[in-house]
Amino acid sequence: MAYSDKVIDHYENPRNVGSLDKGDESVGTGVVGAPACGDVMKLQIKVEGGVITDAKFKTYGCGSAIASSSLVTEWVKGMKIEDAMEIKNSQIAEELSLPPVKIHCSVLAEDAIKAAIVDYQKKHGGA
Amino acid sequence: MDHFGLLGLPRQYAIDRDALERAYLERAQAAHPDRFVGASSAEQRSAMERSASLNEGYRVLRDPVRRAEYLCRLAGIDVDSSEPEGGAPAMGQAFLMEMIERREAVEDARREGPSALDELRDGVEGELDDALDRAVSALQQGDSRRAAEALVERRYLQRLLDELDDEVER
Repeated sequence: MAYSDKVIDHYENPRNVGSLDKGDESVGTGVVGAPACGDVMKLQIKVEGGVITDAKFKTYGCGSAIASSSLVTEWVKGMKIEDAMEIKNSQIAEELSLPPVKIHCSVLAEDAIKAAIVDYQKKHGGA
Repeated sequence: MDHFGLLGLPRQYAIDRDALERAYLERAQAAHPDRFVGASSAEQRSAMERSASLNEGYRVLRDPVRRAEYLCRLAGIDVDSSEPEGGAPAMGQAFLMEMIERREAVEDARREGPSALDELRDGVEGELDDALDRAVSALQQGDSRRAAEALVERRYLQRLLDELDDEVER
């Protein structure tokens, strides 16, 4: 399959690979998986004053899954958490020109950022 | 008709491998396109379709994992699909976190050397067998949901094993 230039760029030079301290009160962690293919993705955010100041990811999967999560960590830095909650997989798929068979990779990245925010909110007594 | 029906076998996990082999060869010979050289184009096409179905059925049923997955699909759960309804069941957070940690452990083992990788690999192989065993016993109890969960767990483990194999070859 032919990957777009943007996918290849993120795949070869992934941004923000790594981990934040899961136990830190200011960190939210989201872990999601694609059951049909076995890909797993961990996305973490550090939140200060309602704003995401850092984001890290680790994705074990195909190039599109790595690119989707890499892109999301770039996007969310500096965003308010409520704005990050609004990120849609269609925006990710469009930015990376993902083909239809790889749309589920962008869904995974959307699920991961949402899960990270929910985890952060839980730590702070939110919904 | 499903693959079991096509090959004249009971729709269940336990399978007589010799009977499967015989059933496939008999039917595949009868449907072989060479036998339809002088036939009408409609008959030729239907023989070709039948051959393709038999090949596909045989490919699925002779493989223990594919056979188990296929039985789940016949029961309404398609582990190849990511759809929330009728697709592969989602795994819990604890399991997914464990998969991340074990993928990270592969990176550590790579730095340590081949014997550390082999050790991880042996463990995963045992778990793959165990997951299939659990799927089979769930199928035999008619619990296709639990069978599908074990098969999805197996898929994550398979990916982990694939990665370990890539590391060993590197």
